[in-house]
Amino acid sequence: MAYKRHVNKGESPKLDMTPMIDVVFQLLIFFVVTLKQEDILSKLDAARPAPSQDDAVKDKQQDLINIIVAPQGFIFNGRALRLAELDKAIERLSGYSKTAMVIIKCTSDSPHAFLIQTLDVCNKYGMTNLSIFSM
Amino acid sequence: MAKLNTAQCELDMTPMIDVVFQLIVFFVVTLKMNQDSNEDIVLEDGKNGVTITADNMPPTTLEIEVDRRGRVSIHNATLSESNLRDILRARINKHSNQFPVLIRGDRRTQHEKIRKVMDICTSSGIWKLSFVAVEEHKAKKSK
Repeated sequence: MAYKRHVNKGESPKLDMTPMIDVVFQLLIFFVVTLKQEDILSKLDAARPAPSQDDAVKDKQQDLINIIVAPQGFIFNGRALRLAELDKAIERLSGYSKTAMVIIKCTSDSPHAFLIQTLDVCNKYGMTNLSIFSM
Repeated sequence: MAKLNTAQCELDMTPMIDVVFQLIVFFVVTLKMNQDSNEDIVLEDGKNGVTITADNMPPTTLEIEVDRRGRVSIHNATLSESNLRDILRARINKHSNQFPVLIRGDRRTQHEKIRKVMDICTSSGIWKLSFVAVEEHKAKKSK
């Protein structure tokens, strides 16, 4: 059997770029198509006291802001309010004290959205002492 | 006048390949393959909350999902009440109660369903809870 010997004649062999470019474009298209933008999320902190502490909290009535979250909307100081009105009420109260304890009482059939809206409004005016109770 | 030599007029691919590689690296880095959260949950807007970033979400964070019908899950794996209790107990044994708990509740779910999760957390010794809301909509709405 005759073996042919490779002889380098001094010419640099040219690399064929076509397959690499094909693969790279395929990858690029894949990543462009699968790219999905994510929502920017925020978190709203609140405390959830144990049910047994409920009475102890109620005894110290001095700095309490009571908001009831009902299926139809919000009840504050015995009046039914819409979100914009609640916003104004919290704005006014935050002028006196930002550390006042806000008690959010949710009825069991109220939508979760209302609780989030309430927490959001409280966060907007810097009220940080938030507690959630369930009714 | 210079003669145009057609034989040597070759397109230089190098800058194009550079750019394409840069793009690929960008997409590889930004790709998030594992969709390990319940995508059906619609969150309520909460523009005034604390933005969730990688920095304020330590790896110990526990995110509990509650969907529209009240199905409780973690990383889209459905849990019963006793499962959730066990997970919380195991977590507390490991990290005490110093880990953040996030509740990702659907905006349409009733408070009753969220209450169940909150009560389990409270009875396990976690009083500080956070609720997830959307600060800014970026994702395209599918519906």
